[in-house]
Amino acid sequence: MKLKFLKALLALPLVLVAGSAWAQEEVGGGTLYGDLSYVTQDMLSRAAGDGNNFLHTNGNYQQTRYYPSRQINTDNVGKLRPAWIFQTEIVDTMETTPIVVNGVMYVTTAFNHVYALDARTGAQIWHHKHDMGPITTYCCGPNNRGVAVTGDKVFMGTLDAKLVALDAKTGKQVWETEIADPELGYSETMAPTVVNDMVLIGTNGGEYGIRGFVKAFDTETGELKWTFHTTAEDSTGVWATHDATGRDMLRDIEAEKAALAEQGDPYETLGGGVWQNPAVDLETNRVYFVVGNPSPDLDGALRPGDNLYTDSLVAVDLNTGEYVCHFQYIAHDVWDLDAVSPPIITTVKDADGNDVKGVLHGGKTGHVYVHKADDCSLIRFSEAMVPQENMWTLPTADGARMLPGANGGVEWSPMAIDPTQRLSYAINLHQPMTYTVSSTPYPEGKLWLGGSFDVIPDEEQWGNVTAVDYDTGKIRWKVRTAEPMIGGVLATAGGLVFTGEGNGLFKAYDSTSGAELWRFQAGAGVNAPPSSYTVDGTQYIVVAAGGNAQLNYKRGNNIIAFALAD
Amino acid sequence: MKRYALALAALIAAGPASAQDDFNLEDAVAVCSGCHGEDGLPVDEEYPILWGQQFFYIYTQLKDYAAGRRENEIMSPIASEFSRDQMKAVAQYFADKPWPAIDAHAEEGDSQIAERGITGGQCSACHGKWQGDSRIPRLAGQQPGYLRKAMLDFKNDVRKNAPDKSSTMKQLSEETIDALARYLAAF
Ligand code: HEC
Repeated sequence: MKLKFLKALLALPLVLVAGSAWAQEEVGGGTLYGDLSYVTQDMLSRAAGDGNNFLHTNGNYQQTRYYPSRQINTDNVGKLRPAWIFQTEIVDTMETTPIVVNGVMYVTTAFNHVYALDARTGAQIWHHKHDMGPITTYCCGPNNRGVAVTGDKVFMGTLDAKLVALDAKTGKQVWETEIADPELGYSETMAPTVVNDMVLIGTNGGEYGIRGFVKAFDTETGELKWTFHTTAEDSTGVWATHDATGRDMLRDIEAEKAALAEQGDPYETLGGGVWQNPAVDLETNRVYFVVGNPSPDLDGALRPGDNLYTDSLVAVDLNTGEYVCHFQYIAHDVWDLDAVSPPIITTVKDADGNDVKGVLHGGKTGHVYVHKADDCSLIRFSEAMVPQENMWTLPTADGARMLPGANGGVEWSPMAIDPTQRLSYAINLHQPMTYTVSSTPYPEGKLWLGGSFDVIPDEEQWGNVTAVDYDTGKIRWKVRTAEPMIGGVLATAGGLVFTGEGNGLFKAYDSTSGAELWRFQAGAGVNAPPSSYTVDGTQYIVVAAGGNAQLNYKRGNNIIAFALAD
Repeated sequence: MKRYALALAALIAAGPASAQDDFNLEDAVAVCSGCHGEDGLPVDEEYPILWGQQFFYIYTQLKDYAAGRRENEIMSPIASEFSRDQMKAVAQYFADKPWPAIDAHAEEGDSQIAERGITGGQCSACHGKWQGDSRIPRLAGQQPGYLRKAMLDFKNDVRKNAPDKSSTMKQLSEETIDALARYLAAF
């Protein structure tokens, strides 16, 4: 302990000497202490104020994606230039969030390669290829969204439904455990979350008739600690006829009740994937996550009831995984307009105008939902960020047009917030589709959509970046983009919002006004969430440009780090 | 059609590898090669390439033929002769072979029509760059006649073992399917 403290003291002045005035301020608020390559729970817990590292996929346990450094800011962002470019072996869809621990960056690619890089230079430290089993599953591209770190380990979920722990120094595998049976359609693309010696991870498979879950594994041994099943054994619920915004979902409750009597509760193949990281509230020892669509996506006939807890915000106890509360956005969803984008914990105004702890979620419906953290209840929902038409029209055999299309609104892309302005920033798709239902029985681990969503070829598609005041639900600003947006957002204390586009543009906006302040053409789709870090007094913005399989955006293999030109 | 008859004759000559106590991998794959090709190039343009295809995909198709989830007058009886382990052995044998090059060409305008279909059907979400992976078959360089037949079979509810393909294919015109078959074969 004493030795570590001394090392930390020695390290600090070095950084201060090297750094600019900005950097000095950042180091003060950072976590450059202890053994520099070792990630402690304290570092993870204090990540929101850490202007040096980027320790969580969504920045911090609250998942604000609000980076506290302001060396790069509205005044100078015009001088942002590539500092280095790293090219991975795999030229394919990239959704990774670079994680940075005291100057070492961890990134992943499609098909579960992991790289450790020198965050100053982009030089490769190690490269780990996951030894992929024969059975992999993915509905939406061979993606991986990155690693989690703690202690001397790096954790990744894989397309063959494994959780692997790697030695952070060498990239060698320390342990591996099977999360679920890949033959049944389970697989992993999300980055895990690490807290209190546990690795938390959900699952893909809502398109394959799985039974979804969030599981907690021991960081040292890989042993399973708890499982929360996202489909309840009694999944029928309250037979809700209206969605969270009060619109009639045109359910035939009588027919559903008859089907329930005949078929029984569908929970065993009801889907309910969890695609994105949970938010962790260490004050109340809870985790909040959103649960995806019921299986089969478009065919409600085989799954009578509200299908709890699909399409819901759910809170469970961090230590035991026991249910705490939930809020369902769409009961008995037949459009796959589910809940994917990771929830954010922050202070919000309740209906009476008092500050309360809240949870935000950006929905595929195009609304930002604002909840009370205490009981998961809905305080408000925002104005729609994208056009909505014919909601809710039931899918038909010939295909019914309804907006938004099944990709959203907000897809899996994480939002960011600026808590000082009480604004959330979301990226959206406008992709008109038809919804077609065609009923088929459970196909034992094969894709099971119960129909299809099809992009209407002649209709215009586009996207937008939207800032919403979450205390009022009103849109503050909105900027249109040429193509539907998928990837993610980073906000910074420098008054900036960063996000990329399928056409290769990576842009910085003024977070107050939405004015575009900077752009860079990356040469392949920028469809991954950016992150930021500071090394030797220089703040960097980093993002992956690998395109996107689902929307067929141009693939690439670049990790690009940007810093201010002198 | 003539080839088909020849191949069937070969099959019958080889005898049904009957319920599997006397299973011999070499004999089994020799039967397959009568149609799917000695050197990996199938004897008919509507027969699929198996060499270099994905292990889990081949295995799943054999399981589905045997269970009646995928119906075909040639393949259903062949597959139902095998136990699951034998199917795995056969699948592994073909998966380990190199994918054979075929002589396929796209026509002018194919790629525009195909790309539109691909975007509309969100094909690349699963099929990526068409090389296949595990449960997703390789389509790049597959026989154009077979690709066309497979897409039409999905569209017309003839092939039912990937039910969601039917909905997708129903959205695509025959012209688009023709273009897609050539485009993928030449990819
Ligand atoms: C008499 C000719 C013939 C023989 C012999 C034959 N096949 Fe086939 N095979 C076909 C045809 C034709 C199809 C396409 C059927 C369809 O459309 O469903 C096919 C399809 C397949 C498929 C599906 C491929 C895909 O891309 O979906 C597999 C797998 C397969 N055969 C494996 C085998 C194996 C293994 C053997 C030997 C044990 C074998 N076949 C023997 C004619 C044959």
